[in-house]
Amino acid sequence: MELQLEAVTKNYKSKQVLKGISLTMGTGVYGLLGPNGAGKTTMIGILADVLSPTKGRVLYDGKDIQAVGDEYRAKIGYLPQDVRFYSDFTGRDYLEYSAALKGMEKARAKKRIEELALSVGLWDDLKRKCSAYSGGMQRRLGIAQALLDDPEILILDEPTSGLDPYERIKFRNIISAYAKDRLVLLSTHIVSDVEQIAAQIMMMEYGTIQHIHTGEEYIHRMKGRVWLAEMPAEQLVDYQNQAVISNVRAKDGPMEVRIIADTKPVPDAVQAVPTLEDAYLYLFNYLPGKAGR
Amino acid sequence: MSLFRFELRKLLLNKKTLLLLMCLLLLYSVVGLTSTMFLIGGNDSYRAYEELTAGWEGPFDSKKAAEAEKIYQEISARYGTDARMIARSIKDQPEIILAVNYHAYTERVEEYWNGTPPESIEDPYGIALLQEKIAELERKGKQNTFACRKLSIALKRQKELGEPKFANILLWENLFNNWGENMMQFLLFVPLTFIIAPVFAVERSSGMDNLILSSRNGRRKIVTAKLLSILAASTVVVALYLAATFLFGFLPHGSFHGWDAAIQSVPTYARSLFPFKVWQLAAVGAVWLIFTGAVYSLMIGFISSRMKSQMGTAGVSLAILFANVGLASMSDTVTQRLGALVDFGLANVTLIKEVFGGYKVFHVFGMCVSYPVMAVFVMGVIAAAAAFGTYRGQRSRTAA
Repeated sequence: MELQLEAVTKNYKSKQVLKGISLTMGTGVYGLLGPNGAGKTTMIGILADVLSPTKGRVLYDGKDIQAVGDEYRAKIGYLPQDVRFYSDFTGRDYLEYSAALKGMEKARAKKRIEELALSVGLWDDLKRKCSAYSGGMQRRLGIAQALLDDPEILILDEPTSGLDPYERIKFRNIISAYAKDRLVLLSTHIVSDVEQIAAQIMMMEYGTIQHIHTGEEYIHRMKGRVWLAEMPAEQLVDYQNQAVISNVRAKDGPMEVRIIADTKPVPDAVQAVPTLEDAYLYLFNYLPGKAGR
Repeated sequence: MSLFRFELRKLLLNKKTLLLLMCLLLLYSVVGLTSTMFLIGGNDSYRAYEELTAGWEGPFDSKKAAEAEKIYQEISARYGTDARMIARSIKDQPEIILAVNYHAYTERVEEYWNGTPPESIEDPYGIALLQEKIAELERKGKQNTFACRKLSIALKRQKELGEPKFANILLWENLFNNWGENMMQFLLFVPLTFIIAPVFAVERSSGMDNLILSSRNGRRKIVTAKLLSILAASTVVVALYLAATFLFGFLPHGSFHGWDAAIQSVPTYARSLFPFKVWQLAAVGAVWLIFTGAVYSLMIGFISSRMKSQMGTAGVSLAILFANVGLASMSDTVTQRLGALVDFGLANVTLIKEVFGGYKVFHVFGMCVSYPVMAVFVMGVIAAAAAFGTYRGQRSRTAA
């Protein structure tokens, strides 16, 4: 199974949100990282067939998804960034409705709903109205909906927003177990979501995929570029405007600052073990002046 | 559960809409009840009227006509000639109601034979008038024209139907008023607009569009389910209106008297050239309202599929409805110029008195096609276009 983007461009009026993205994905988990406004949700929308590209096309096993139509949509599970619910639907109603939309057979839908409700921890809440669910519960319900028809392609847009740490770990485990022989595309700006489970991580900015590597490759490239230094709080105030700082830890006396730089940033800095988050900040050059992008 | 059942639940079988339906049922019951209560005084008055008319029903009787005329003259001298004013003033006096109704019937008999000048050039009525007009056209060598054929058909039908007979159709007349006057368009179509408007628009406002459009059944089967739920919802609302006004229109007096009279006995339908009995017109009228309600609802469904909000959908739908009502209420000169736009506009085509109350004929490819047949065709085309447009729109719709 192969999903291919061929020079996909998307314009909203005069604004070009995606700029000729070409990409091929096979089975496995793909992480899509990028700052807000990078075009992740638009790309996800095109892959989920809820948006049409202005130019270019998406091919599923060599066939244009627009031509494949229902058959393509039958193979995808999609969790949009923002899912709301019909106010008078219970969790079970919502999942049954989703199953009907996916054209699932009634008996199979019932079985899958029960399995997934257990696995996302909503078994006891299925009879409650969705509107009474917490943000995390709504997200879990959305995840269950996306997994309902055992899709070949799973597209998740910010799946872990609103989940507590335990729920996020549980979600990662579910996705890892699920991803065998399937394509999972996970868009997020929470680096740790993809760090553990993604085979390939795409870094996206300004409507283009800037980098595609494995997590290890990103981390390897960061060797010698992550530094730990100590500096007093007064110095840090000025310093943080000139450097990419990935972490600051308050201590008694001077602060421990994690700095990302090609060369030793301060005389007493020592090298640290890089993480994917460091790579993300390095690649997108997260200087404070760019924070508002 | 099938998609249809979910869509029906979203549109109709939810707490908010069921509450609205309960309120509508109450409103429609009050409409049925009050219209019949103000028709004639209490139940005793109606019973007395029914007993009195028993001896007057049947073919035209000149003695009874003279008797009725005498009473009518006295009444009109006292209250004027405005029928509503008279009706309001005499509703507790069955004898006078009978005389006034027989007087009106006498005029209809006169009209049947001679027509009533000044007669509409477009829609002549009355055997003598029709014969005269046909003869005039024949003299001019226009016997094969559409106008001549139309008049000949009208004359033939009128002769077949025969002279109108007098009948006590008081309660049925009230029912047909409830089912066929402009008031119905507001009582029925305005709530219907608000019930149907969310059908597609709610998916956008609720953010469910993404899930629907990315699903296997989110492009075609969902539209079928939604269109079926629209039809079911509109049928329920119209049936509610029909049932409540029917039930509460007859209940206070406990009588269906006049059910098998010819519809020409009902003043509004005196010029109808359809050979219906009163009960048949009621059945046809009910089916007609369900049909036109369904077509209007499909139009709202189409608008909803193109709009982002349900209030926007309701606004556009109501604007179309009111524009139609406005056009239909223009002067004859204007409505004649607008022609088909008024004839097949929502305001006219939804009123059974407009469709079945006369005998309008259209000239289509050399054939004379009656108004109801043309209306079914035009409404069918509108419904098909709305459904097709909705399918097509959903197929290419994006979540943006």
